[in-house]
Amino acid sequence: MVTYIFRRLVTAALILLGASYFVYLLTAASGDPLEQFRANPTPQKQQLMDARTELLQLDTPAPLRYFKWFGGAVQCLVPFANSCDLGKNIAGQPITDALGAALVQTLTLVTGATVLAILIGITLGIITALRQYSTLDYGVTFMAFLFFSLPIFWVAVLLKEFGAIGFNNFLRNPEVPLSASLGIGVVAGALTAVAAGGPLKRRLLAGAVAFAFVTAVLIYFSATEWFKKPGLGPVLIAIAGAGIAFAVTLLSAGLKNRKALQSALIAVGVGVVLYFLLQPLLNEATFLMIVLLAVAFVLIGLAIGYLMGGYDRGQSMRAAAITSFLVGFLILLDRFMQAWPTYFNNSRVRGRPIATIGASTPNIQGDFWVLGLDSFTHLILPTLALILISLASYTRFTRASMLEIMNMDYIRTARAKGLSERTVVMRHAFRNALIPIATIVAFDIGALIGGAVITETVFSVRGMGFLFLDGIEHVDPNPVMGVFICVAITAMVFNLIADLAYSALDPRVRVKA
Amino acid sequence: MRLGRISKAVGVAAAAAIALSACAGNSGGTTPSTAAAASKQGGSATVVEVNAFNTFNPNTADGNTDINSKVSYATHSGFFYIDNKLNVVRNEKFGKMEKVSDDPLTVKYTINDGVKWSDGTPVTAADLVLQWAAFSGYYNDANAEAKTGTSYFSYAGDPTGIALTDFPELGDDGRTMTLKYSKPFADWEIALGGPGIDIPAHVLAKKAGLADTKAFIDLLKGMPRGDAKAPKPVNTQLKAMADMWNTGFDTKTLPADPNLYLSNGPFIVKSLNQDQSLTMVKNKDYNWGPEAQLDEITVRYIGEAPAQVQALKNGEADIIAPQASADTVEQLKALESQGVSVDVGNQLAYDHIDLNYSGPFADKNVREAFMKAVPRADIVDKIVKKLDPKAAPLDSQLFVPDQAPYADSVKNNGSSAYQGVDIEGAKKLLNGATPEVRIMYNKDNPNRVDAYSLISESATKAGFKIVDGGLGKSDWGKALGDGTYDATIFGWTNSGVGVSGVPQIFKSGNDSNFNKFSDPAADKLMDELIVTTDKSKQDELIQQIDKMIWDSAYGLPLFQSVGVDAYSDRITGVKYMPNQTGVWWNFWEWAQK
Amino acid sequence: MAEDAGSRTWAAAGIEPVLEAKGLSQGQIVRKRFLGHSGAIIGLVVFALIFVVAFTSVGYMGIPGWWKYSHTEVSPLVNGGAPTASLWLPAWGEHPFGQDRIGRDLFAMTMRGAQQSITIMIVIGLIAGLIGVVVGALAGYFRGWLEAVLMRLTDIIIIIPALLLAAVMAQMAGRRDQGSWFASFASTNGVLALGIFLGLISWVSLARLMRGEFLSLREREFVDAARISGASNARIIFKHILPNAVGVLIVNVTLTMSAAILTETALSYLGVGVKAPDTSLGLLISQNQEAFATRPWLFWFPGMFIVLICLSINFIGDGLRDAFDPRQKKFNAKKATEHPGAAAQTSVQTSAVTALDEPERNGFQHDDFRPDGSADGTADGTRGQ
Repeated sequence: MVTYIFRRLVTAALILLGASYFVYLLTAASGDPLEQFRANPTPQKQQLMDARTELLQLDTPAPLRYFKWFGGAVQCLVPFANSCDLGKNIAGQPITDALGAALVQTLTLVTGATVLAILIGITLGIITALRQYSTLDYGVTFMAFLFFSLPIFWVAVLLKEFGAIGFNNFLRNPEVPLSASLGIGVVAGALTAVAAGGPLKRRLLAGAVAFAFVTAVLIYFSATEWFKKPGLGPVLIAIAGAGIAFAVTLLSAGLKNRKALQSALIAVGVGVVLYFLLQPLLNEATFLMIVLLAVAFVLIGLAIGYLMGGYDRGQSMRAAAITSFLVGFLILLDRFMQAWPTYFNNSRVRGRPIATIGASTPNIQGDFWVLGLDSFTHLILPTLALILISLASYTRFTRASMLEIMNMDYIRTARAKGLSERTVVMRHAFRNALIPIATIVAFDIGALIGGAVITETVFSVRGMGFLFLDGIEHVDPNPVMGVFICVAITAMVFNLIADLAYSALDPRVRVKA
Repeated sequence: MRLGRISKAVGVAAAAAIALSACAGNSGGTTPSTAAAASKQGGSATVVEVNAFNTFNPNTADGNTDINSKVSYATHSGFFYIDNKLNVVRNEKFGKMEKVSDDPLTVKYTINDGVKWSDGTPVTAADLVLQWAAFSGYYNDANAEAKTGTSYFSYAGDPTGIALTDFPELGDDGRTMTLKYSKPFADWEIALGGPGIDIPAHVLAKKAGLADTKAFIDLLKGMPRGDAKAPKPVNTQLKAMADMWNTGFDTKTLPADPNLYLSNGPFIVKSLNQDQSLTMVKNKDYNWGPEAQLDEITVRYIGEAPAQVQALKNGEADIIAPQASADTVEQLKALESQGVSVDVGNQLAYDHIDLNYSGPFADKNVREAFMKAVPRADIVDKIVKKLDPKAAPLDSQLFVPDQAPYADSVKNNGSSAYQGVDIEGAKKLLNGATPEVRIMYNKDNPNRVDAYSLISESATKAGFKIVDGGLGKSDWGKALGDGTYDATIFGWTNSGVGVSGVPQIFKSGNDSNFNKFSDPAADKLMDELIVTTDKSKQDELIQQIDKMIWDSAYGLPLFQSVGVDAYSDRITGVKYMPNQTGVWWNFWEWAQK
Repeated sequence: MAEDAGSRTWAAAGIEPVLEAKGLSQGQIVRKRFLGHSGAIIGLVVFALIFVVAFTSVGYMGIPGWWKYSHTEVSPLVNGGAPTASLWLPAWGEHPFGQDRIGRDLFAMTMRGAQQSITIMIVIGLIAGLIGVVVGALAGYFRGWLEAVLMRLTDIIIIIPALLLAAVMAQMAGRRDQGSWFASFASTNGVLALGIFLGLISWVSLARLMRGEFLSLREREFVDAARISGASNARIIFKHILPNAVGVLIVNVTLTMSAAILTETALSYLGVGVKAPDTSLGLLISQNQEAFATRPWLFWFPGMFIVLICLSINFIGDGLRDAFDPRQKKFNAKKATEHPGAAAQTSVQTSAVTALDEPERNGFQHDDFRPDGSADGTADGTRGQ
């Protein structure tokens, strides 16, 4: 195993070396670095060209220039020496600094989007696999392929127009006309009816319930100006918490496990009590505090499950912990909503919260909640855009993987021995379907560092993709190489992790040293 | 979008960018508009720029991008600024700039008492000397071929004029400096005007280990003019200062040392958010020039025009100046109902088709025939009319319509012969010949591609065989003047102010004279032009040169680029400006409603 | 999913009646299954229509088409350039899709663009398919040093950013007559060159996949049987193993093809794709993105064609995937309860797994469902995310 990893790492290093040389030459050959001066009619044209030539060391041929760059780059390997030198970009900034800033931008942009895309994609994939060739399956397939086929800049323009500008206009006077409430209700009802499955009667019932619920909620929101002063309040948290408790128990232990259900419900009760206790503390929130509270909620859930015991203590603990965590999340959400009016009326925001560009409102000041909301309003559109276009691959892939597994002998065996459908799907099928998905996810995380070139351009986020593109535009190899090295190393490491994870998850695949 | 931007940036004279982004000036020249007067003091505005800020010294070869110049313009002041009619407006509250004698040309600069940097140090003649030393390249003795000597300050602007001066005479009170030119120089008014006086000498002196600005002046005084033929050993102190000047002010985050961003203008930089935004607040001490209405200006960077428009629409930006296209302008016009104001105007850049004085075009008749076949009106209609309904073909090689002498020049220069397409006339001139013409242009610039399509369509009718010689963006610039084509469509930027650019393009044998136009009479006039300091005499000479160029069937100017700016109803006082300073030229008049 | 999975009380395996049972050949089974996949059939019809219209309307390779304008021809603006086609009184009009600002006919340009996009797609499909199969087959079948070398080669290609390669390509295509034969070829056949180049970098995922298939198939009994009866390596590869891997192959190729159109769009948007005055769908919509609100037809028509082509290819691929997968049975839990006997069919063949010298994702066709398969682990923004 160790030999295997060692061998892989050595090969990776050699590949990186060769590829970096190649990439350097390609960048240098990708254009004319002096183009912007060529049609300059002024006498200092030559001087400007000389200055640029000196800056980019153009008088050294690229095959040799690489070694100058390499000389600096190789120092990055010396630990703690702090002598890492990846050169400077045209703006005179060291690439190491530029990379640092760009990495932060990119990670804030793509992390949420990737995680959500994976979660939603896998969920949709499982559902469509379980209902192969149903209306729902065709609908999801069609939508996934449709979003996949849309050019991202198109999606971005539409999102900005309706998601930001339109929604902000709406917020000025957040009244949903009755006709709109009914219309949205009808759409929601129809979608639910299609998605529900089962006999026609059941579908219609589900659709009707969804229609009534959505319409009523919209009318209520409109009447109370909820969009201006949103909030959940303890009652809603309790109701939603109970729903969560049932759903979590259903998935993790099955409703027949009464102890687990009770643990989850107790966790909800504890959460509602904590809601009141935590309010003063939350006013002083910091990021660390939120993380600690999240851990605390999980621990409380575990404790409740442990105390409840039952024939399968583990299941109770799991159900309660997940429920408790989610209730904690609801409390967090509620607190963010409480901060919404403050954010909304902030003099920098001026009542138009959803942003179309950048990562934050310049010069905004406020507490943890206001700043958090600021990030949220800036990230929501690019995140949505990224989710929409990357959903397709996860959905289709999960669906295929799931279908394959569902046809395996051991699934039939599991069914034959009388296990519930929940156990068959969640325990036997889903876990095995996860194996190939895990490798894909590892792969994608590697690619994620490279940023999303077009999304960054459209939303004016200056991340890794922008740095890369800017380097190519100026025919400046330094930023290009910086991004390349980061991406290649991450990709290779995650590739290795994916391979190892694969052999760990699937005992049939063995690593031979 | 950025790529488009780069390809459009063709022909943008970097020097002009510097020379024209002059510093804060005299509000006496332009009275604040009534709208601005009616609005309250204070408030804030968000301006959108394409590029990200990266240095506090916009004069260096690597730092002279538009955004750096604009920030410098708002945070520094000088003896003059340039208004949107392209006049040089003096700022007498900052100091006086006077021509003491014509022969030899002598200019005296006096800084007013009380003008100071934001750390309290007065702005003195030492700061002027530093600017002079940097701009003139006086001490450089580098010889590129022999690889000897030293190049100190890496200045992006045009040093030709100020290089004619000797070490300046300095007044005893430390507030005057007198420059003596060895030859008359037409553009003396803007010679020392970078964006005002923007690098403090006392900061540089300290960094170089000198005691004070007096030591700094003494050091410079003691050094002779650099001579590339007899290079001297490097002066380490000057080199240290020059290095500081060249790269020491480069930053993307707010430096810990406030000396690196001292202001002597209406605003001072308060915060820098790397690649996201820059915020300036009012400089409290400032009273030596037009006073700003706003308390705070935030600059945000957005590359693409559609994103800029949507940011304006969403209230995230107050003032934008996106790259103009018919659709962008139309979208902005549609926002007028929401209170957005849109200004459309000409820019100083213009597209033109030049014919080589060789190959099939060696014969003047063929050139004339080709010019008759160029559908200029059609090109303007289809490419720029939608942006600017007033757009018309450009009829002068040397003036733009924003300049007063344009109308006179157009009357006499012979451009009237090429107003409409004259296929019959062209056929007659060709006399049955079917010359093959290869037209070179930048394939990555949609305007050029469309102009090419239209020209090729029309010229084919006249009997020309048109060959598509379009090249990609990284290659067309290199091909200029290499003789692989017969005609080329590209753009120049008229400097707007100053005449030094004329001979660069049109004088025999000059670098930028790509089609090898050569006319001894015109050469003579151009020699005369650059030593003429009298404005009306200059205009007269240029008109004569313009006529000679047209008479020789040089090629045709096609149209001026169109610029657009738009601002929300929160803001008043924004005015269109054709040059690279753009809307920033009167930023002090911006006010919040 | 939750309620659905959990609340079902019936629990039994259900497999649709099996086609194989009737003793059909593999081709027949595949054809039947494919024809039964309505999405795939609709996709096939739509694609065929677009293909025929695109290639006959404006002509191709010098053969004139039936449409009156060409994509470069400038004609006077009719109706301010707005589309003249109307739906209520079905009529084409002079310029059914409208005109661009200088008066080129958008229908002609869109058709030309569709031609180019389809050309790119097919070229990529052919090249990536060919190289992918050869590399994957050789690596998977022969193993040893050949496999090591080929797999390291794919690793290199995977980490080199496609965007950078495209920029170099675009620069070469921008050159006219200086430089090598390649430059002159690229400048006259921009689209073909782009397709070839994209094909040259998008075979890697297919190669990995094919290698996986070969690794498992070569251990199977029928291969041993063939070997014992004296078949040559070439015969084993092409006659025995490849037909068994053809499902994976076709599926992956179709998806690479639809991703290719989007890659071309993204590259054109970034200025390194197809160059004017030639055109492609991607170039058209990226050039006209600012016209989105003001002259929407310039944006919608080419955009619609991109989406249509991608959707139809994806559905065709989806249908092929379902049709070719020998393990794929139409599974239906409800029907399972009604046909309890259906479970008694031939046992599902799982991939034989051998001791690999390194972990391998063989047998799992994960790359099929990464339509951006070429993008693994690289910094490329070509999918445009």
